[in-house]
Amino acid sequence: MSAITAVIADDEPLLRAQLRSRLARVWPELEVVHEMENGRDIGQVLDRHGPQLFFLDIHMPGVNGLEAARAIGERAHVVFVTAFDQYAVEAFEQGAIDYVLKPFNEERLALTCARLKERIGERPPSLDELVERLAARIAPQAGGVEHLRWIKASVGSNVRLIPVEEVIFFQSDEKYTRVVTCEAEVLIRKPIRELLEELDPARFWQVHRATIVNVDCIASVRRGLKDQAEISLRDRAETLVVSRAFTHRFKQM
Amino acid sequence: MKSYAYLFEGLTVQRVLVVTAVCAAATASVVWLFLNTYRDLLVSALCVGYASMVLFTMAGNIRQGRVPREVMQVGAIVIGSFVGTIVAGLVKGRDVRQMFAERLFGVLITMGLGIGFGCVVVAAYILREKHARDQALHHAAESERHQLAKNLLEAKLALMQAQIEPHFLFNTLANVQHLVETNPPEASRMLESLIQYLRAAMPQMREAYTNLGRELDMSRAFLDIHRVRMGTRLAYAIDVPDALKGRAFPPMMLITLVENAVKHGIDPSCEAGSITIRAAEDEGKLRVWVEDTGEGIKPKQGGGVGLANIRERLKALYGVSAKLVIEERAPHGVVASIEVPTGSAA
Repeated sequence: MSAITAVIADDEPLLRAQLRSRLARVWPELEVVHEMENGRDIGQVLDRHGPQLFFLDIHMPGVNGLEAARAIGERAHVVFVTAFDQYAVEAFEQGAIDYVLKPFNEERLALTCARLKERIGERPPSLDELVERLAARIAPQAGGVEHLRWIKASVGSNVRLIPVEEVIFFQSDEKYTRVVTCEAEVLIRKPIRELLEELDPARFWQVHRATIVNVDCIASVRRGLKDQAEISLRDRAETLVVSRAFTHRFKQM
Repeated sequence: MKSYAYLFEGLTVQRVLVVTAVCAAATASVVWLFLNTYRDLLVSALCVGYASMVLFTMAGNIRQGRVPREVMQVGAIVIGSFVGTIVAGLVKGRDVRQMFAERLFGVLITMGLGIGFGCVVVAAYILREKHARDQALHHAAESERHQLAKNLLEAKLALMQAQIEPHFLFNTLANVQHLVETNPPEASRMLESLIQYLRAAMPQMREAYTNLGRELDMSRAFLDIHRVRMGTRLAYAIDVPDALKGRAFPPMMLITLVENAVKHGIDPSCEAGSITIRAAEDEGKLRVWVEDTGEGIKPKQGGGVGLANIRERLKALYGVSAKLVIEERAPHGVVASIEVPTGSAA
């Protein structure tokens, strides 16, 4: 019977070396044929080395361990490696999948290897469902609607990054949009219409054809001329006009 | 018509009752001067009083910025007294022209009393309003102060609760574990860095007062750990004049910028990158900045909690004279800088 071959993927070089040396102790027959520092090029590695086994660190740049497992599919057995991740460990326990924790415990590693030896001749199980569940737990925001978090604005020769929660209001100013914060005022090219689509609608309300306000920055709203209303702001002296079409948002207040 | 309704805002039943009462009392206090009956005088007083009241209310609500509101309101009283006197004449069935021609003295007395009483009432009203406004301003300032104090407390609490990431700790220990077997002197150096970092980062051990030098030591320890862990992927440099290391600097802010540079800049990138910490002093401002050559920030990327905490604490400690600025670095990466006034305790 030919030697069983494995590939180790971890972005930390010392931890790859450590896993390799530990494996050499607890499973001398196992041949580590390749090391990867991220999950890229899984297909190529499979084609060239055809390993039966992958040790995948979950957290890696570029293509992480979960994405790599997806790419491997049922072409090899997978053992996940992780430092500390409560959610991941819970999911592993439920899914009865092989995993090892860093720092490595030799007995635990030996146990995993013993299980793998029994299983290695079988067809690798499908991990799709588990990987989806893990991905949802580790990065819960993925999949949902993502809102704009940073405004990029040129200030002199630099591009400033302003967190949206710092913005008090946006106001269109001919072909630019004014972005007003506590301490600064900058112009960006993105029009109000586009901002509206990208900003979190729970936090940023349109109050006028030309104005979007951060509701957290509103100090008070009072009735104004005609059917309009007037917003006073925290940290800014100026007031904003709420045009008739948008006053209904403040009616219950 | 509906659009002018705002002019009559404040014309409440209460106001009408107050004016009625004032008119009754005023009439009673001057009735001995006149030959007229109390009733006859009261009619004149009410006409003057109501006319003044309506005009006074409108003067207070007109939206204009040229004439002070108080002047408008006194003007309203004068006009109101004039109009009211005429209305009183009409109510009593007199000929207005004849009234001015033959009973001018009486008319002038009525108007004069109207203006006099009106002004007293208006003065009382304006004083009361001013008092209420002062009260409200005082209240607003007070609540602003409370809000700031609350924000600072919350920021401090969040800082206290910020945990050392288990992921970081265990990965670092795994590296040390390996080095103990393969390169003991390096293992010992890494442990030393970890201890130095933990000493500064453990909430119980964080110092309320610190200086730039100590914050730099902590950041250096953190970067040393990552340089071992990431191998050739991370290089770093600290370029801060010794003279600035004794300057007061708020705790845990620099390390937050450095952690972000590693976590969001270098770590997600497959390429090698570098982090540089610099500081400069200029015109009473100490500026410290962390530059990384990593991935950069994507517009929809989260993770600004640490930054929000820095901003909150800077505002509470220094008001508007401190700032945190995040900028893109060309061709890629981020420059994050903190500017605080020197000479004030952090």
